[in-house]
Amino acid sequence: MNLSRPDRHDRLDRLAAEFALGTTPPRVRRRLVAIARRDRSVAAALSDWERRIAVLGERVPPVTPAPRVWRNIVARLGLEPERPSEREVKGQRNAAFWRTLAIASLAGVVVLGFAEWRRPPSVVPAPLVVVLSGSDAKVAMIATGSRGQRYLTVRTVGNASPGADKAFELWALPQAGSPQPLGVIPEGGIVRVPLQNPVDEVLSNIPTLAVSVEPPGGSPTGKPTGPVLYSGAIERMY
Amino acid sequence: MSAGVNPAPDPGVDRLADLLARVALGDQRAFAELYRTASPHLYAIAIRIVRNGALAEEMLQEAFVSIWHHANTYDAARSRPITWLTSIVRNRCLDWLRRREVPTESLARNDDAMPWEPPSDGPSPVDLLLAAADAQALRGCVDALEPGPRQAIALAFFEGLSHSELAAHMREPLGTVKSWVRRGLAALRRCLDAAGIAP
Repeated sequence: MNLSRPDRHDRLDRLAAEFALGTTPPRVRRRLVAIARRDRSVAAALSDWERRIAVLGERVPPVTPAPRVWRNIVARLGLEPERPSEREVKGQRNAAFWRTLAIASLAGVVVLGFAEWRRPPSVVPAPLVVVLSGSDAKVAMIATGSRGQRYLTVRTVGNASPGADKAFELWALPQAGSPQPLGVIPEGGIVRVPLQNPVDEVLSNIPTLAVSVEPPGGSPTGKPTGPVLYSGAIERMY
Repeated sequence: MSAGVNPAPDPGVDRLADLLARVALGDQRAFAELYRTASPHLYAIAIRIVRNGALAEEMLQEAFVSIWHHANTYDAARSRPITWLTSIVRNRCLDWLRRREVPTESLARNDDAMPWEPPSDGPSPVDLLLAAADAQALRGCVDALEPGPRQAIALAFFEGLSHSELAAHMREPLGTVKSWVRRGLAALRRCLDAAGIAP
């Protein structure tokens, strides 16, 4: 399909319009995206129409997403877990630090020692592995984590699935007391479950992880509500 | 006109363009600020299309992962930053919606098209279209659309309905709906270009 020839201009324009509106069938959508990657005139037609169409959407009432969305983005990209709203606070802390440092620098030699003291201890990644299996002893998932990381990586082995309109949720099982929710395991072969704190802190006194079947957003009660299908002991290499 | 239709966050084209440029260089703070500024608008767009909060969150996450990786492809000469960001989110949502569909369209699909319920709260798609028209002095362009094309375009844009879903929802033959969409888009283009609103 050579869409950049002049006589095809109208057809391209129509396809681009419907692409931007979103009514294009999936097969045509995929082809257009593929063609646009190597054909500048097609790419231009698509972005021109995206610009026209976007004007329509400028008055949709905004909805603030839950804080977990940002945490998940940061975890998936492996960025520093700075929350957008914490920026100012952190900035102030940094400012205080630099002020202190500036005063200290008056004392010359003191500066070196001070800066050395402020440097955070280097984090040596030390892995942690959990093999999760069901009552049939077949391996269903493997979870790994590193000290200092704020997420666990979970790999589904075989075809474990929570079923329609359900989700798997990961739990920390302490030696005594109730299971602690770690988060819903996103669908996919290898996924990340973000944690509030570094792995070694979250799992410091936890011998076992478990997986239960829950509603899509996770257990509404903070305790497992569906069957606990898989569990496994935490093996630490540190 | 429905109340509660607020303008999209527009902290200035320059500010968002500046943030995108810094994100392209790997600036995590700029990325956090971009998220804080744009995510409420983008999330609202995603919710309307996929009609499920958890799923819209997933779409938003994927979109921002993509934005982090592809901010260097943003071309300020081609589109406004919010347009570029909105396109990324909408395309994610539409790809997800369409993946679940049978890849061929036929009249027979009308009967088993995905059931569609209008959102129980908030402005309707046509309200939103008219609100945008107010905001952008597009009134003439939107008013000039006949009722059929206007509703079809509003539903397709704000709710992500496909041709067959539009036909099912509007209780019209697939061919009629397709031609409404086509005619509506053509009329919109002529009008927008003539008004110099989104050339």
